[in-house]
Amino acid sequence: MRPENYQARSQPPSNEFELNFGPNHPGIEGNYAFRVKLNGDQVLEARADAGYLHRGFEKLMEGRLWIQNIALVPRICVPDPVPMEVCYSLAIEEIGGLEVPERAKWIRVMQLEMSRLAAHLFAFGGHAATTGMYTTMFWGVADRDLILDRFEELTGGRVYSIYNIPGGVRRDVPEGFLDRLSSLLDYLESRLPDYDNLFFTNQVFVKRARGVGAMTQEQALKWGVTGPNLRATGLEFDVRRDDPYLVYDQLDFEIPTESGGDALARNLVRRAELKQSIRILRQVIERLPSIEGPIRCPIPNPLAWNVPAGEAYTRVESSKGELAYYVVSTGGDKPYRVHVRGPSSMHAVQVLEKLALGARLEDIAQIMFSLDACPPEVDR
Amino acid sequence: MSKDLNIWLDDLLGDIENIQFKRKSSRRVRVDVGSEALPALLELLQGRASYVHLSAISCVDWIEDEEFELVYHVWSYETRSLVSAHTRIPREPGVYLSIYDLYQPAAFFERDIHEMFGVFFEGSPDMEKFILTEWDGPPPMRKEFDSEAFVNQHFEWEQYHPQWLKDLEEEGGGVTTRPEDIRL
Repeated sequence: MRPENYQARSQPPSNEFELNFGPNHPGIEGNYAFRVKLNGDQVLEARADAGYLHRGFEKLMEGRLWIQNIALVPRICVPDPVPMEVCYSLAIEEIGGLEVPERAKWIRVMQLEMSRLAAHLFAFGGHAATTGMYTTMFWGVADRDLILDRFEELTGGRVYSIYNIPGGVRRDVPEGFLDRLSSLLDYLESRLPDYDNLFFTNQVFVKRARGVGAMTQEQALKWGVTGPNLRATGLEFDVRRDDPYLVYDQLDFEIPTESGGDALARNLVRRAELKQSIRILRQVIERLPSIEGPIRCPIPNPLAWNVPAGEAYTRVESSKGELAYYVVSTGGDKPYRVHVRGPSSMHAVQVLEKLALGARLEDIAQIMFSLDACPPEVDR
Repeated sequence: MSKDLNIWLDDLLGDIENIQFKRKSSRRVRVDVGSEALPALLELLQGRASYVHLSAISCVDWIEDEEFELVYHVWSYETRSLVSAHTRIPREPGVYLSIYDLYQPAAFFERDIHEMFGVFFEGSPDMEKFILTEWDGPPPMRKEFDSEAFVNQHFEWEQYHPQWLKDLEEEGGGVTTRPEDIRL
């Protein structure tokens, strides 16, 4: 029975409501926010909201010596820091006309592929967690840790190695390192069938991910999608092969593609890339001992190094896509301008906003993790 | 392929006035073009030469020349080459045309440049703040903005050796370590 003073509240005109997804949310990668307007659980509007991780790297770099910035750049993307160092060093080498020794190039490739393995294990581990399969995440993180052990042995740092400097690398490969890396690769390869059973062919994942966040190749090209996300739409393109740097043109590897363009296809591409990275690393292990020579070319005193005036635009294939640095020097001891083009500046903003439209609320996290978006690359 | 790139670009871009190009390496071409001709250049590159991927738009603040340099990096998946089109616009008023109609990724870069350098792009779909949502100072990437001076003006440095610790140390307490005891 209603009380006497009861008045029915006028209902809102629709079922629409707004929801802040992030900046602290387990379904968001890093500190990033996503404002969505929903009707029931269907997304009507989506707006990315960045800035929670802005540390002003580009401005900071203008105030520091060329060599000091090596310690800054890997922090732009935490899960995959090595391509940042390499790309920045490549730019300085191009401007300064430095000739990197062959051995250093091979060591860099080894490190890049180790970093790619670690980043992919992290990426699909994170995706698995968004579908409730935490075991895959724990496995991924645990196996990544073994790669970090090798990073620690090689460079002294587990996550940020600060190991690549303009002209080469800091120190040579330790005694017995390649053997230990080789047995790590054997172990990782033996884990792949387990990952397949646990995750990639698991119907819990396959049924959840199929058709989620799908895009066509035409859309992907129009939206500036790169890396594994582009290859998941069927385009066989990889900076490593098509715009080669270091010694990738001497290596034998395949570029896996999928045709679905959805969250499932993107994860399957990463799964196939694990295998290719292991293949590249095996070639490096085989070739590296026979390549003699220095590990870096002589550079001027780094504390008083005036890099000649010039500009360079260098690109590498990071685990997330095309990573590029535009570096301008006016002949001073500090960079005049450094512009970082992270792959996620497309994936985490425009692409995510577009793919989220019409999706269901519980799939937003899946879409974001399947794009392997890295918010610090957006904020810089 | 790459050897013909110059000749081929010559044919394509011969009609545009005020243009210079230079091949930096087998896959990198630098084009310098006047700001009035840049949209036409990009339209040609995209429409007739398959440069469909806008890799980035970079902005450089040349404060002594009172100019902003905008660099459009476009990549062709077919010829596998990257054209960097450089153009300069006056620093004041710092207004230029958006290329969003040609390349959708431009929306992000233009918004970013607007926020960091204060260059306004006419026709860009979204010029709202993105990263520096709560910032109301000058565009921070401009050369005249001195971050250290700004910090000194607005914040106080953290005291790592406050008075109470000094007092404590004078009495013989505290956490002081003698230099000879420090092991590195």
